[in-house]
Amino acid sequence: MTVGRKGHSQTGEDASARAGVGPSSANAIQISNVTKSFGAPGHGPTVLQNIDLAVRENEFVSLVGRSGCGKTTLLNIIAGLERPTSGTVEIHGREVRGPGQGQGVVFQQHALFPWMTARKNVAFGFRDKSLSKSDKEERARELLQLVGLSAAADKYPREMSGGMQQRVAIARALALDPEILLMDEPFGALDELTRIELQQELLRIWEARKKTVVFVTHSINEALVLSDRVILLAPHPGRIERDLAIDLPRPRLRTDPRFVALHEEIWKGLSS
Amino acid sequence: MRGRLVLQYAMSAAVIIGAIGLWELGVKTGYLKAYQFPPASKIAEGFVEIATTGFPTGITIWSHVLTTVTRILQGYLAAIALAVPVGLVIGAFPLLNKALEPLIVFCRSIATLSLLPLVIVWFGAGELTKVILIAYGCFWVMLSNVIAAVVYVDPVLIRAGRSFGLKGVALYREIVLPAALPRMFAGARMALGVGFMVIVGAEMIGTIEGLGALIMEARTFYRSEITIIGMLVIGVLGFVISTGLAALERMLLPWGSTLEGART
Repeated sequence: MTVGRKGHSQTGEDASARAGVGPSSANAIQISNVTKSFGAPGHGPTVLQNIDLAVRENEFVSLVGRSGCGKTTLLNIIAGLERPTSGTVEIHGREVRGPGQGQGVVFQQHALFPWMTARKNVAFGFRDKSLSKSDKEERARELLQLVGLSAAADKYPREMSGGMQQRVAIARALALDPEILLMDEPFGALDELTRIELQQELLRIWEARKKTVVFVTHSINEALVLSDRVILLAPHPGRIERDLAIDLPRPRLRTDPRFVALHEEIWKGLSS
Repeated sequence: MRGRLVLQYAMSAAVIIGAIGLWELGVKTGYLKAYQFPPASKIAEGFVEIATTGFPTGITIWSHVLTTVTRILQGYLAAIALAVPVGLVIGAFPLLNKALEPLIVFCRSIATLSLLPLVIVWFGAGELTKVILIAYGCFWVMLSNVIAAVVYVDPVLIRAGRSFGLKGVALYREIVLPAALPRMFAGARMALGVGFMVIVGAEMIGTIEGLGALIMEARTFYRSEITIIGMLVIGVLGFVISTGLAALERMLLPWGSTLEGART
């Protein structure tokens, strides 16, 4: 049994109406009728079915759902790392045909290059060939400062804690100056305190740099603390179950009754 | 803490010295035959002889070592120089890799020394035969490791590279290659070990120079202490060169997993 779209919370609006599901160049990301199945057509499992989703510029959207609901696959499709079986994804009106079209990705594992120091890893993110090496290093220094890691610039990834590694990974993704930032459970492997710290850090960076963010998480709390909108995905086949606007002012308190009510609503949506 | 360590070393040393002493005593009292179990004193005498007058007369231990090391390095370096580019190409193409895998496993499985008679028929019993045998043994080990190093690069790193728009040759050069280096170094160390295993056999024929020849020659004259010296020297050489390679790796790949860097 699904919680229908009629079941609004006090603050949760059906945000897709406002964002406009139809084609619109005002949207940063426009996902239209995306289906993804693996294996031979019609035989392999369908991971995503008929996904329609529009994300506005500078919006912070979380994808929440159980394992197997296809949230990571959807993120990979937006990133251009996987191709949809059918349907299209557009970023600012341009169809996504692969990576490097304005998407910056932060992965679940830090995915830093172990042979590069923090600064080199970030400098790697500047793919612009017109930049000189010293320009890149200088800008890498600035980004490391942004994520609060100036002191660790010359450390190798294995010399850093999990939280530091993920900060570098964020700085590296920002080096591309991406229009949209795609994050696949970036804080999932961190301890609770580091996780909260990095959530605050991410909000600060998001406000400073004004990016469109799509954030995959299995933590309802995390989605509620961070997002303008929470998209609930349901599995078998992966589909959008609910689309909730989170109109709470930031910083958000986990003890705020509205926060608690939204948490409850999402929890019900996920366990149905 | 330090006191405990000193005690530990002292005890280890005492055990070794005790064993050598017992051995010596066994020979003195006639329980052990000196030509079967040459005692430490005999080995020490033998070493002085081989270091000065040489064995066979005129060929000192130093020239044996030089000859052997030269042969190993020639075969080893040739094998590495060939295996690295070939492995990098095979590893880049999964289909090619699958197609060649049975052949590579087959060739690697042939005990190198069993090829000795054939290689002698083809190339004679000279220097070339010895170098080729060493190269053969090292090559397949190195090749398998280079291919595995490339194939088993962490897919997370490849996806990260792709997310920055890298693909094809650029992806291979900038991500796959550096990520494969630690495993390639491990392969190079394994291949060197194979070189040392092969050398003794390869030097048993057609030469009186080299550590393998020394060991065989000593057997002919029932000079077991010389055989033991040959074994010891090979062991020390292998240790020294392997340690040197590890140091080189730490220098070239300071980010690698063998580095004992402090985790903060």
